[in-house]
Amino acid sequence: MTARINFNSVAAVLFIAFAVILFLIIPHQIDKPMIVLSQDENNLKASLFPQLVAGCLLVLGIWFLFKSPTLREENQFRKLDRSALINVLVTLVAMLIYGPAMMELGFVVSSAIMIAFLSTFYGNRNHALTAVVSVCVPIAMYFCFTKLLSTSLPPFPIDTILTNYSIL
Amino acid sequence: MWDVFVEGVGLALRWDTFAMMSVGLMLGMFVGALPGFTTLMAMAILLPLSFFVEPMIGIPFLLGVYKGGIYGGSIPAILVSMPGTGAAVATTFDGPALTRKKKARKALEIALFSSVFGDLSSDIVTILFIGPIALVALMMGPPELAAVLILALIVIASTSTGVFVKGLLMLIVGLFFSLVGQDPIGALSRFTFDTFAIRAGIPLLPMLIGVYALPEILIAIENKATETIRQNISSKEGGKLTWDEFRSCFRTICRSTAIGTGIGMMPGVGQVAAAFMGYAAAKNASKTPEKFGQGELEGVAAAEAANNAVNGPTMVPLLTLGVPGDNITAVLIGAFIAQGLRPGPQLMEEQGALVYAILVAMVCANLLFLVIGYFTIPLFARVVMIRKSILLPLTVVFAFAGCYVPRSDPFDLLVLVFFGAFGYCAKKLSFDLTPMVMAFILGPVIEYSIGQTLVLSQGAMLHYIFIERPITAAIVLLTPVLAYLMWRRVTRIRRQTGSR
Repeated sequence: MTARINFNSVAAVLFIAFAVILFLIIPHQIDKPMIVLSQDENNLKASLFPQLVAGCLLVLGIWFLFKSPTLREENQFRKLDRSALINVLVTLVAMLIYGPAMMELGFVVSSAIMIAFLSTFYGNRNHALTAVVSVCVPIAMYFCFTKLLSTSLPPFPIDTILTNYSIL
Repeated sequence: MWDVFVEGVGLALRWDTFAMMSVGLMLGMFVGALPGFTTLMAMAILLPLSFFVEPMIGIPFLLGVYKGGIYGGSIPAILVSMPGTGAAVATTFDGPALTRKKKARKALEIALFSSVFGDLSSDIVTILFIGPIALVALMMGPPELAAVLILALIVIASTSTGVFVKGLLMLIVGLFFSLVGQDPIGALSRFTFDTFAIRAGIPLLPMLIGVYALPEILIAIENKATETIRQNISSKEGGKLTWDEFRSCFRTICRSTAIGTGIGMMPGVGQVAAAFMGYAAAKNASKTPEKFGQGELEGVAAAEAANNAVNGPTMVPLLTLGVPGDNITAVLIGAFIAQGLRPGPQLMEEQGALVYAILVAMVCANLLFLVIGYFTIPLFARVVMIRKSILLPLTVVFAFAGCYVPRSDPFDLLVLVFFGAFGYCAKKLSFDLTPMVMAFILGPVIEYSIGQTLVLSQGAMLHYIFIERPITAAIVLLTPVLAYLMWRRVTRIRRQTGSR
């Protein structure tokens, strides 16, 4: 078995880099106490744990870097073909858009679009079924969350305009 | 202790608890019966529903999902040789062969009876053990608690799948995520990058749903989810299970229950290894081992009793020490925290009746499970054929809605997608997410306990631990030894069973 650099080695370098960045940002990203109440006596500082974490990350990253060439794990990303990668990326992008869309269009409308789009993208060609599911399920969920569980979901845009004549 | 138990029984016997447990069982069986949908994913997505009801309704609901899901996985495993959950992989050895022999109904019934027996027995063992363990836990001070939690984290990392150092690295990453927000002692802001939304820390729920549900969805859609099961399946084929057939499997069921209960007490090993070990033990003990794999009822019974028997004992470290032993209990701890209950020694002292009520509800859930499962087998057998191209988008929408409702903060949706993508990449690169989630949950408690220990030690930490706190010293010294022994044992079990 020959040792060689692999995805684990790259990951190890990233962990080490992350540890170094942590050490660098600790002084800037941890607030100082307004009044120091004899902290030195107990060594109780808000930066103590972050420094420990960064130190452990650095030591383990170095251990992982030296160990990585001997590991024979497979990078599962390499097994993915082009269409699988496209499926995953499209779903992730759809999720990223779905959040802001929910705020702008309301839960029911954005969810209906999301369900119809993803379902068609995943290969469902029964458009009648898609239409029924993408309209009925978000309305049912909206009703369950807002009326039965008394929680809030982004409302229909029209609800905010016509509060006295709300759809649900 | 007896009084507290009796009070707990009183708390558990409520119609609304039973109703929600039944809903949870049905949902769990539904999700478990869908190949590619895991129990963990179902629990993560349904977790927010438990927030808006009382603890004695919300937590039994999730326990119902858990129990139903583990059994539900056996339905497609038996009917179409596709395990609905990882725990049902060993069921595929004999289940499909029984279906081919026109004994599908018998296989589904023995799976149900074995699951209920295994689960019920392990729950009773849990009730018996939890009191004494809680009494010991109550004697612990901050140094002992910190030492036990660190020991638990290292053991979880050592028993995680894959390479040990990768488990440790994920543990440290989880600790880093737990640092974001405020330090637990001085409430000083840390790593917030002036973002108001994370001033109180990274929200637990979006993280749990992101890490446990979204990667499963992304993996499921790698190959477009158009295909449905086209095989002609029928759960009604063959007669029902006879009393003699059940009796012939009874020894195997008892053996597997003991194995599953033992495995459940070990953190991080889980149902998959238990099912394989139960199956292997049944085959070794059988007078006709050559029949295993050819459609042997005992094979299904062995795997199903063992994987369900894991469920009860995993609650012991969760409820007594606040240490979640696996992914499922990590989701459950989220439900407890959202209800304002922090599992650990104090919970047993302050809310002992509630803890017993939850355990009694687990026992009752098994009885409900027997009735519901028996009458709904044909219904859930049809679930196997539902199109994933419809269900996956619905799952995404449900995950987003569930993530949004607790705080009504759009930022939580970003956290959800971030951890979804992070979890997916980690899975693809063989990094186990369990140590990360455990460290994220336990990080603040560890930091607080260490802070208290530093104050108590008055600057002389080593002297305080090794001279004044002998139990802490013993735990600290035993940590590397125990971690090594657990790692060796789990590696051996995984090598024997072929499970990851």
